[in-house]
Amino acid sequence: MNRHGWLAIALIIVLLTACAAPTPTPPPAATPTSALIAPSTPTPAPKVGSPYKIGFIASITGPGASLGIPERNTAQLVQEQLKAQGGIIGPDGVRHEVQILIFDDESKTDTAASVARRLIEQEGVVVLVAGTLSGPSLAMVPIATEAKVPMISMASARSIIEDPETKKMREWIFKPVPENLHSAQKQADYLKAVGVTKVCHLYENTAYGQDTFASAQAIFPQAGIEIVYGDAFERTATEFPQVERVKASGCQAVVIGSIPPASALVNVAVRDALPEIRIIHGHGSCSPDLMKTAGAAAEGTVMPCGKILVADQLPDTDPVKKLNLDFVKAYQDFTKGEPISTFAGHAYDALQWALAALKTLPDGLSLAEQRAKVREALETTIRDFPGTHGIFNLSPTDHLGFNYADFVMVIVKDGKFQILPEDQWK
Amino acid sequence: MRGARRPPSGRSPRSKDLAKEKQGAFAVIRDRTWEERVQFARRWGITAAALGLVIFLVLLGRRHGFGVPEYLQFALDGLRGGSIYALVALGFVLVYRVMGVINFAQGAFVMLGPMLTAFFYEQGWPPVPGLRLALAALLAVGIVGALGMAVERLTLYPARRASPLTRIIITVGVYLALQGAALLLWGPYAKVLPSFTTMSLSDPTLRFGGVRVKAQSLWIAGTLIATVIALGLFFGHTTVGKAMRACAVNRLAARLMGIPVDTMSTLAFGMAAVLGAIAGIVLGPVTRATYDMGLELGLKGFVAAIMGGLVSFPGAVLGGLVLGVLENLWAGVTVAGFKDLFAFVVLILVLLLHPRGFAGAEAAVERV
Repeated sequence: MNRHGWLAIALIIVLLTACAAPTPTPPPAATPTSALIAPSTPTPAPKVGSPYKIGFIASITGPGASLGIPERNTAQLVQEQLKAQGGIIGPDGVRHEVQILIFDDESKTDTAASVARRLIEQEGVVVLVAGTLSGPSLAMVPIATEAKVPMISMASARSIIEDPETKKMREWIFKPVPENLHSAQKQADYLKAVGVTKVCHLYENTAYGQDTFASAQAIFPQAGIEIVYGDAFERTATEFPQVERVKASGCQAVVIGSIPPASALVNVAVRDALPEIRIIHGHGSCSPDLMKTAGAAAEGTVMPCGKILVADQLPDTDPVKKLNLDFVKAYQDFTKGEPISTFAGHAYDALQWALAALKTLPDGLSLAEQRAKVREALETTIRDFPGTHGIFNLSPTDHLGFNYADFVMVIVKDGKFQILPEDQWK
Repeated sequence: MRGARRPPSGRSPRSKDLAKEKQGAFAVIRDRTWEERVQFARRWGITAAALGLVIFLVLLGRRHGFGVPEYLQFALDGLRGGSIYALVALGFVLVYRVMGVINFAQGAFVMLGPMLTAFFYEQGWPPVPGLRLALAALLAVGIVGALGMAVERLTLYPARRASPLTRIIITVGVYLALQGAALLLWGPYAKVLPSFTTMSLSDPTLRFGGVRVKAQSLWIAGTLIATVIALGLFFGHTTVGKAMRACAVNRLAARLMGIPVDTMSTLAFGMAAVLGAIAGIVLGPVTRATYDMGLELGLKGFVAAIMGGLVSFPGAVLGGLVLGVLENLWAGVTVAGFKDLFAFVVLILVLLLHPRGFAGAEAAVERV
């Protein structure tokens, strides 16, 4: 009998480890190097250098999964594209295979840290593209810094690239993700244009949500907008007593700093209590999930979004329209019609940065030299670099290089995102 | 006679009478032992503290200019969440009473209910949305019930001689396994259940003066009432229900009376799963079903069950409702970001100060 008990426990443990283990998807394919010099590549490179490894860590499971899965898809897509191209060619004409090692941080800080350490120490990655969420990203920052490995995060918090105390750029950390600060600037422009002076700010109780609030507190007063009430909510909340406070505070607009479905639930609760009030989301809500969850309550809400989401509505003169349309098409072909998300765009930008930097490496460097050189290349060669969210200009004092004007203001109309040009702000 | 004799008569009877007259309710204390007095003081102390907390919260609300409609709104919203906690808590109590196990897999059943319902609803057959939703919900409840029984047979039954701690850890494992399975099956995206009233995304809002009630809240309240009545009838008037109660009171005696206690355990587990699934399904249209929704609801349901003493059905319902209302009131008047903190502080306080919860004497009799 006891034996049965132990068997049951063993079974559970097996099940647990099965679902808890970070899933390396796909296993780093040990493609023989010779297969890479396929006839498909028109200019057969005479020399083949050592392969480069990019460590890719996303929140493929857990609360961040709806962001992390598009990112994982993108990494798989880019890996396919690299295979088809036969890797990348360095400045000295040497061809290098690029392996993207994809790992899951389960949306947890501790898993993120241990996976990052493993990729750095055991797999010997040259650069990390790591962190779907701000929390896990911040957990990996000290690890990458200590090991002197350049890391490109896909999360948004400012503190990932900038030390909040010294206000200096973190030497080894980069991110192509516009932050809440830019979002708040765009929101402030909009609020000012429509004549709102008092806002309420509701934000989810996560690193992301708190950052939206801190950014609003930093930006809004400069634009003459007062935050009369600000409070957090749990992502899992079903009741929102905060709306009574919103009502009592007499604000003219509600800014929601959250990610669907939580942002959508707040949207519904606010719309219910105050049918007329303006609702403004942050760029975290730029996802069809918002309308899928909030339904009619989302109609008329506005938010700053990255260009990728409304690429087909961009004017033809837009410098990143073509890049976006191409990526969206490739992504949808690859995923068999999954809707595009801004997070796929962040992963794409991050990987393109990493590849651009890797392309500057001459052959024959040690791993430490490669890592240092990639870091340097990120700071110096990502200039006027077109990405899914706009034109990036990195420098030693700016590891993001995003201009908030590259955000487009978007309105939800008939269940779809539509560009709201500045002359229609009212 | 007595009264007339009192003024002039001797000391001893007079002082006794006076004491009785003067002290009234306090005389009750005098007759008790120290242990009883401590308990008495504790019970009333806790009641006073709880009342004090409510008054404190209400006063805090005055600061924001809240009036009666706002408090009513908090209470009504709180009752909605509380009804869900109550339904989940009933499942905890049921399993604990019959099997002596705290079933942390309950949260997974709460999640599977709406996930399965949404999954079947998305299949698009039959074309009438109302019928489709009803069928989907029935199917989901049935599957979750069967799954609950299977889980009991496959994981807890083989370990029935193991220590309670082992069995509790097994249920935690079951929770994680089911959550992982849901993630694999349906991915991380939120699933949407239509409002029961309109069969669409938007749920009508009824307005009474300044107070708003979502139509779905009425469905939730109705479900709780119907469930409580059904459970009452089941335990009071059916042979199986009575047999299950017998198992709760004394497993050995129940076995000697010819009651198949292991079958009763399996059945109880299945019923708890059904209760959880029902809670999740009626909640579905209010929130959105995600694979990880079970943890929080399961834990809150556990807090509610603990507030009810873990063995009392009425206590669990009361616990759920009180928790829902207080939590919402607390979140409304203080910093809403600390909403969950409230429930877990309550959990710790109840366990430390008054582990019998609302159940009172009943707990002492039936526990163990």
